[in-house]
Amino acid sequence: MISVDHVTRRFGDRTAVEDVSFDVHAGEVFGLLGPNGAGKTTTLRMLGGLIPPTSGSIRIDGQAFTRESANALRRRIGFLTETPGLWDQLTVEDNLLVYARLFSVANARAAVQRTLEMFTLWDRRRDRVALLSKGMKQKLAIARALVHDPDVVLLDEPTANLDPQTARTVRDMLQELRAAQRAVIVSTHNLDEVERVANRVALVSGRLIAIGEPATLRNEVFGHRLRVRLEGSAEQMLAFSRLVRQAGAHDVRIDGTMLSMATNGSGAATPAIVRALVEAGAAIYEVTDDAPSLEDVYLRLLSAPGANSPLPTGHWPLPS
Amino acid sequence: MTKELREMRSNPAAILPVVLLVAVCLVLPFFIAVVLPAMTGEALTADRTIAQVLAYAQTQLPGLATLPREAAAQAFLFQQFLFLFLVAPIVGAVSLAAYAVVGEKQGRTLEPLLTTPLTTSELLVAKVLAAFLPALAIEFFGLALYLVLTVSIAAPGVARTLVTGRSLILIVLLGPLSALAALQLTIAISSRVNDPRSAQQIAVLLVLPLVLMLVGQVAGAFVVTSSMLLVVCAALAIIWILLVLLSVAIFDRESILTRWK
Repeated sequence: MISVDHVTRRFGDRTAVEDVSFDVHAGEVFGLLGPNGAGKTTTLRMLGGLIPPTSGSIRIDGQAFTRESANALRRRIGFLTETPGLWDQLTVEDNLLVYARLFSVANARAAVQRTLEMFTLWDRRRDRVALLSKGMKQKLAIARALVHDPDVVLLDEPTANLDPQTARTVRDMLQELRAAQRAVIVSTHNLDEVERVANRVALVSGRLIAIGEPATLRNEVFGHRLRVRLEGSAEQMLAFSRLVRQAGAHDVRIDGTMLSMATNGSGAATPAIVRALVEAGAAIYEVTDDAPSLEDVYLRLLSAPGANSPLPTGHWPLPS
Repeated sequence: MTKELREMRSNPAAILPVVLLVAVCLVLPFFIAVVLPAMTGEALTADRTIAQVLAYAQTQLPGLATLPREAAAQAFLFQQFLFLFLVAPIVGAVSLAAYAVVGEKQGRTLEPLLTTPLTTSELLVAKVLAAFLPALAIEFFGLALYLVLTVSIAAPGVARTLVTGRSLILIVLLGPLSALAALQLTIAISSRVNDPRSAQQIAVLLVLPLVLMLVGQVAGAFVVTSSMLLVVCAALAIIWILLVLLSVAIFDRESILTRWK
């Protein structure tokens, strides 16, 4: 649905986004991750047709932003901008109503009611926006981005300022958008949130550093790791560590009564390792995948040599 | 435009300058032409300058010739003050228009607006109309009141001289076109500056020709006839269209988004 092809954006001498390419399909939530100044907002602005790329192309269902197509494409996009940008002197309902009409929504009032109810803001519809809390303003801004039922949704930091309960509502809403076959791009610092909702993530820092499913990225960066909690003295733990190495594990670490080890593949060696330990008389309490968080992946990739210097597209500066 | 009108409804003080200026325009001519002579006991035509200007005006504006001298002097003054009515809403509405784009920038509300299918020309013309229509409504209301007060307070026959083709051109064409041109210029400047005052100060200069017309006529330098007014109106219409094109051309979405902090 959304196709970003070798997009570069420069502002004078400064390159904000360099040679970024990715596709986002209908029914997909795509996470755009990166530190401050990584070009996430610029990328979203280009996707929303607010600013053109310096080179490369952005297409929605094969259609690029041109003077002729811009308005038709904007009708299909719901964009939550970096700041909520609500009219403080207008009521909650009027803020949405104006946008519903700008997007030529049929039966605008009903659409506004439905959207406000979805975000539990209907009871506050007659309040001026100036009276709302930061979190409620953010909710309203998200509601505004969805009032015209767009099939492309661009969200810049959607859970900023939201309490955990409302953040959960937003995550649920993202799942619903995915189920409704919308293409959603979420730019965020909240890695936990991305991990929960995104099918795929892209790590950007001016250029694309890595892209893929969170689990795939984990495996690419850290490999598959296994954790085994068992009973044993320090000497026994040392003996067990030698044993698991013989059974195919490597990079074995001992942390008290916990053995952490890297295995080849995505866990195919686990049965052999567990069998070797059992046969050696180990009392095993727990065997779990040692899955590093997306934050670990993020930090590892960003700190990798060359993460901030130009690289050919598709090349991942994976740490050894 | 709905947004501005709703905002105005929630904050009526925003249009207070227009209301106050129209109120002044309403009171001032009656004070000068009716109240002051009644208080001093001195007729308007006793003033040599007014007498001279009136003699010249009676040859140019036929409606005045048939009235008694004092009534003709009143009618002449009331006709001139119609020009002030044209200036007042412009000055008041310019403050609304000056804030239109800068205000959206300052409130960070412009970026979401630019994500909608609204074209630049639609956005800018809507901003102009949002300031223009309330000002025009207040102006027409003030003019209706002006006519009613003239019928009630001024000398007999004076009100009739206000209902002429020339007045109609002033009210229906010159006033609205001057306002449109001034507001469009304000919006054009508003989209390029960071401070609404800059837009306001420059755009108010557009009322100078109207003020010059008023001063020139009162001073007896010239009398603006209907045909002269039509020429001015045509020029203003062209200026407005050019300003619409200019404001669309200089509205740079990208620099507004990326350089405005």
